[in-house]
Amino acid sequence: MTAPILEARGITKRFGGVVAVNDASLTVGKGQIVGLIGPNGSGKSTMVNLVSGELMPNEGTFLFNGTDITSLPSHRRARLGMARSFQLLRLFHSLSVEDNLLLANHMRMKASIAASIFGRSSAREEEQRARARARELLAWFDLQDFADRPVSALSIGQQRMVEIARGMMSEPSLFVLDEPAAGLSPPNVDKLIQLVRRLRDEFGVSILLVEHVMRVVRDLCDHVVVLDSGVKIAEGAPDAVVKDPVVIEAYIGTGWKRRAQG
Amino acid sequence: MRVYLIALLAFAGLAVAPFGIGGYETNVLMMVLFFVILAVGLDLVTGYCGQFSFATGAFYGIGAYTAAIMTRDFNTTIWVHLPAGAIVAGLFGLLLGIPALRLKGHFLAIVTIAFQTIVYLVISQWTSFTGGQVGLPMPNAGPVTVFGVTLFEFGSLRSYYWLTLAMTALTLLISWRLVNSRLGREWVAIRDDETLASAVGLDTTRGKLTAFVAYAALAGVAGVLTAHSLRGVTPDDYTIWISATVVAMMVVGGRGTFIGPILGAVFLAILPELLGKFAEYKMLIYGVLLVLVVTLMPEGVVGRLRARAAR
Repeated sequence: MTAPILEARGITKRFGGVVAVNDASLTVGKGQIVGLIGPNGSGKSTMVNLVSGELMPNEGTFLFNGTDITSLPSHRRARLGMARSFQLLRLFHSLSVEDNLLLANHMRMKASIAASIFGRSSAREEEQRARARARELLAWFDLQDFADRPVSALSIGQQRMVEIARGMMSEPSLFVLDEPAAGLSPPNVDKLIQLVRRLRDEFGVSILLVEHVMRVVRDLCDHVVVLDSGVKIAEGAPDAVVKDPVVIEAYIGTGWKRRAQG
Repeated sequence: MRVYLIALLAFAGLAVAPFGIGGYETNVLMMVLFFVILAVGLDLVTGYCGQFSFATGAFYGIGAYTAAIMTRDFNTTIWVHLPAGAIVAGLFGLLLGIPALRLKGHFLAIVTIAFQTIVYLVISQWTSFTGGQVGLPMPNAGPVTVFGVTLFEFGSLRSYYWLTLAMTALTLLISWRLVNSRLGREWVAIRDDETLASAVGLDTTRGKLTAFVAYAALAGVAGVLTAHSLRGVTPDDYTIWISATVVAMMVVGGRGTFIGPILGAVFLAILPELLGKFAEYKMLIYGVLLVLVVTLMPEGVVGRLRARAAR
């Protein structure tokens, strides 16, 4: 395995008496696509929110590129090169597609806020460069015609693409995709699979992929981690993991063999 | 460019207005300008950044009392009071911004109401410092001198009007630059989706605090101008009714549209003058207007017009 970009060690998160994630560990290697799967309520979403810094773990450590980021809030993690998409689409709905991308580039801008307020040329030129890059990226995602449209005017599939383009705008080294296939039609799922692979191959982004759609996981992932009731129950190559009896049991319940035979 | 041209024409018209109208009308215009500053300031924090505040009257009063107390204790002039009022109100804005880091929506609104109440109680009850219910008198601003040469005497209604007009132009220009800067875009991002704003690397703490400080500082400037042009301060000019009036102006005009709150302030500030003896019912009329606008077009008049133009 290549050097790890993200390491989660012994992560535990409790909500009152409920243990949502229990002593879970996972590693994403540089240039890898790692899948995180599990039945509903298994703690996947909690784990994603812990990785991105929206939630703080009760126990455990997160290392990002070897640095301890456990106590950093989400905007600091983003600045270190971590981007994410959301299971339920999140976009700045009153802004244009281009402005949505531009905001993801703010943290990389060097000119001061004061320079921007006074309209200094350094700030103006920097913004022009960022807008040009946003347009390039939108063209890459085949969204160039929508740059000036409000995001609310786009279809769900297009909004999903804007979300991923926004993530790429921040030039991340790790992209956390939270159920990107949710709500997409089957042809769009095919496009998504190709696109995520190209993100890794052309931009060299490492990806942590949380997904329900098994086809996406089997086609894309180098490595899969399975959670059930907050506990890691299996990990390995996707084809091996989906045949693991423990995993099958977690998904469809105990006694499946007996019922299948009967 | 067209925006700047229209603004320039409007200000040129307002600048020559006192030659064509009487003292009463000039006073009304000046009061309209105070409300324009207050409404545009509130729009920064509520319309753009999405943080409710019912404390406009408190910051307005903090600016006014800063000017009055400095005049009494240090014998300073309006040129010192304008920046001082902005800074003192801005610092209190920072203070009120801190709960906004944890609280949202109604809960934040309640905290701002509490802050407004505390400020009112302090200025009306701390008699030895603020003059209590009677307030404090203020002398004329005096002559304006440059290197010992007197340019003009400050004291006439017109001179206060022109100063207010100039400060209105300045505050509008600053606000316009703010909302069109990177910072203004971050305010809108925080209003739209705070979780996402943080996930794309924006410092939402900085965003909210700067919005509160800008809002409070503008209200502070309006307060200094008001204190000087009214030749004094009394607590009843800085109550929660002012806060509610400014909220109505912003909402009726259109939150986050910049021009909307300006038009809202002009319309709602002049309205009572046109009502004659019914002017005492103005809060009732504001209330009915607010309910109608919030239910029928929550985006406000300008917001509705823009949405229609975009279709």
